Amino acid sequence: MTTAPAGRRGRVEIDHDTVERDLMKLVLTVVELLRELMERQALRRVDENTLTEDQEERIGLTLMLLQDRMNTLCDRYGLSPEDLNLDLGPLGPLLPRD
Amino acid sequence: MTELLYAYAVTGREPGTAVASYGQGVTGAPVFPVAEGELAALVSRVPAAGFDEVALQAQLEDLEWLERVARAHHEVVAAASSAGCALPLRLATVYRDEDGVRRMLRTGHDRLRAELDRLDGRIEWGVKVYTTPAAQAAPVGPAGPGAAPAGPAAARGGAGGTVSGRDYLRQRLRQRQTQDGVLQQSSDLADRLDAELSRLAEDRRVHRPQDPRLSRRDGVNVLNASYLVPAADAHAFAERARTLVAGETRVRVEMTGPWAPYSFAGTGATEAP
Repeated sequence: MTTAPAGRRGRVEIDHDTVERDLMKLVLTVVELLRELMERQALRRVDENTLTEDQEERIGLTLMLLQDRMNTLCDRYGLSPEDLNLDLGPLGPLLPRD
Repeated sequence: MTELLYAYAVTGREPGTAVASYGQGVTGAPVFPVAEGELAALVSRVPAAGFDEVALQAQLEDLEWLERVARAHHEVVAAASSAGCALPLRLATVYRDEDGVRRMLRTGHDRLRAELDRLDGRIEWGVKVYTTPAAQAAPVGPAGPGAAPAGPAAARGGAGGTVSGRDYLRQRLRQRQTQDGVLQQSSDLADRLDAELSRLAEDRRVHRPQDPRLSRRDGVNVLNASYLVPAADAHAFAERARTLVAGETRVRVEMTGPWAPYSFAGTGATEAP
């Protein structure tokens, strides 16, 4: 991957000086996408009442810990939620913007 | 073949007043008219290297380049509009040579003439409606303001003490529902405003919601529309719009204009060079 000029935000840019942060950004983007999907699915099931109490507790705890860990990592690498939202051009953003 | 012609607008040839300056153009080269019959296109020379099809594909994704070109483009259109009706062409409309421009004016004559008549003496107001951050529920997503690094116990909601997995899930569910509710309410408000303004306008175009990176604003863009209004009614239209949203805190409304009627100029004049 090459370095794009400033002003092309929202792209994954890998530069050897910032390779660790850039790689982290890519990894966290994928993790955040999965977390988002899992949460949506979980919330839907909660809404429909199709999970047992025990399942709700375990899923909730997992998502909570995952979010906490995400926050810590984002902080450490100076990333904000927008940084994890890849612009897919005509397809729009990877994650919902809210 | 190292230069192309960048076209800004089509005007009728009988300009009421001479335009002193069309501004800098997109590259600083002088802007001049290319006439064909009773129509003329305002163009300036641009290097082929920066404006041929391949280069444009890449450049159009570069927001800074786009902003610079859009400003220059707008300056020329605004100057032309001050002297009579001008049909703004799409950003980055490029022709190979003057013959290409003339051909466009000739083949599109009837339509361009009709468009000029339809838009003569009209202006455009842009109206954007955003949800207000105040009306929005606590942000959902990683690293929100409530995300203290103090561990899961500090999860938002402020129940104090340890939050169970179930509580967390239910909290998130409520947050999402509130957020959906706010969005729905804002959209309904925007729809009502749009319906009211549409009755006052001769025409209207709804655009895609704005990219938050371009608007640099908080809140979700729930309406992005343009209204075509006779220049004489421009002021009354703006007043009416302001009255309609006065005191409304659930949404933020932005009005821009009066502009030359960019959104209403036909797009057929942008055929390939």
